[in-house]
Amino acid sequence: MTAAIELADVHKSFGNHQVLNGFSLRIPQGETWGLLGPNGCGKSTVLNMLCHLISCDKGQIKLLGKPMTMLGVETRSQIGFCPQRSALYPDLMPAENLLFFARLYGLSELQSQQRVAELMHDFSLTDFSSTPVKHLSGGWQQRLHLAVALVHRPTLLLLDEPTAAVDTEARLAIWQLIEKLRDEGTTILMTSHHLAEAERLCHQVALMRDGKLVAQGSVSDLLARMPDQAVAKVQTEDVSSITQRANLMGWPWRHLGNDVKLFVPLSLSLREIWDALGEAKITSISLQPVTLDDAYLELVGDAASLPTLASKPRHRP
Amino acid sequence: MSSDQLLLKQTWAVTRRLMLEQWRQKKGLVFWAVFPATMMLLFGMVYAHNASMRAGLDAAAAGILVGAALFFSCLGGTVAVIAAERERGTLLRLMVTPLRPSAYFLGVVISQLLLALVQVVVLYAIAWLVGAKYNGSVWLGSLILLLSVFSYVGMGFFLGARFAKRSEEVVVALSAIGVPLLVLGGTFFPMEIMPQAMQNVAQLNPMLHMNQAFKGVAAYGKSFADLRFEIIFLVLFCGLSLALGVQSYRHLLGMDKPQ
Repeated sequence: MTAAIELADVHKSFGNHQVLNGFSLRIPQGETWGLLGPNGCGKSTVLNMLCHLISCDKGQIKLLGKPMTMLGVETRSQIGFCPQRSALYPDLMPAENLLFFARLYGLSELQSQQRVAELMHDFSLTDFSSTPVKHLSGGWQQRLHLAVALVHRPTLLLLDEPTAAVDTEARLAIWQLIEKLRDEGTTILMTSHHLAEAERLCHQVALMRDGKLVAQGSVSDLLARMPDQAVAKVQTEDVSSITQRANLMGWPWRHLGNDVKLFVPLSLSLREIWDALGEAKITSISLQPVTLDDAYLELVGDAASLPTLASKPRHRP
Repeated sequence: MSSDQLLLKQTWAVTRRLMLEQWRQKKGLVFWAVFPATMMLLFGMVYAHNASMRAGLDAAAAGILVGAALFFSCLGGTVAVIAAERERGTLLRLMVTPLRPSAYFLGVVISQLLLALVQVVVLYAIAWLVGAKYNGSVWLGSLILLLSVFSYVGMGFFLGARFAKRSEEVVVALSAIGVPLLVLGGTFFPMEIMPQAMQNVAQLNPMLHMNQAFKGVAAYGKSFADLRFEIIFLVLFCGLSLALGVQSYRHLLGMDKPQ
């Protein structure tokens, strides 16, 4: 099958700062991929290159089977891009924003009107049809922002942190919309900081660090890299006793404040873990399967990049 | 759809969007109309009060239109469009679409022309009420106005792309550059009352030639042959200004790309 996106040994630097350092990735058509990594690892640079906004210093990029340098208007019209920052015309109504972009893509007046009506309905924007965009909440603006990227029915959709600045309700709504597109067979590449987002939406994820691909595969593939392990979450006022006991037991651990995360053998029961921790003062303890968050931290190893998971680097005894 | 058809469609889409935005920003639209109307009323009252100056009223109407109203709306309006596009992040989004730079450029030019047309109608309606007349060829006057609008839009692209990153900077840039040019362009005072050194410097000011050309035809009924020097200067300046504008817009597209 022709790959929708192919990057081979791509290098890019801005001044002295090397952002991409031999990055390679191949995404087959019809798949949804998540591109994850710490801030500044080069995720957005990859998307900007795929949108033809910047060029690479070295390496090869192909979109829909064609080298970037030979992309005509027709191929470029198959790409939909939703930048991280909402970019809309605030004095226009939602439908007017959509119509403007539809016309830029050369849709006929009838096609434009039909497509706009369809998107207004699909994105539940009809209730706001006579509300200027500047009066919409951030979540609704983000929905419209995504709708604009779809106005010309792209076969390849590039989303740069599509839910970065929205509340939970809007995030869930946007997830549903992306799921629908995914199920319809649109090829999607999205960057994200929310691992739960990637876990829910993506067929495959690619993990980046320092401008390179460090791992790729399905969520279960990544979880399989931490086989036979479970996570014991311990809340304690005596972190040092817990970590000392963990070191004695040979269990890797991370901690943030009074919360300690222990990576324990899957075969252990909660009782056995409790007993192994001995005399340490434990406020609460729970046992959970390894999540994508854990696998991410294991592979990328930069906890600071994940505010929701911020913890000290994992310690191995 | 052929490439030319797409260009036309995109140009018209940009024009429609800008006109619609202008229409929605009703306050701005009112000010564009109030500005030349107030200027014309004030000048009309001054000239009517001084019988000896009465003859200058026709020239004043022409000067206010080209030197002040179109300067602020077409040049200022273009700078504001570019600054807003950058500020809202829409420029980046436009770069990802198949929108051709020439279609965007033309779209802005046409929307500014339409706005200029409204200002011409408003100003000459007030001028007629206070007793000023248009004495020359409508076609020649239209040609001079067209060249003036193109020049202003070209300069607007140049200033907007090179200097104005935020909307607030537009006002400062316009005041700093525009007001001295208006004064040196003979918009408010006749050139004859200026010292010779200022008059010499003013010869380099394109607004002086726009003013003289339009005043020549509108107030004094001069012909194409009479105004050939001014018109040649205007054509050259218009070409230079459009080239600068296009080049600056291309520079802007490169500069505003993400880093």
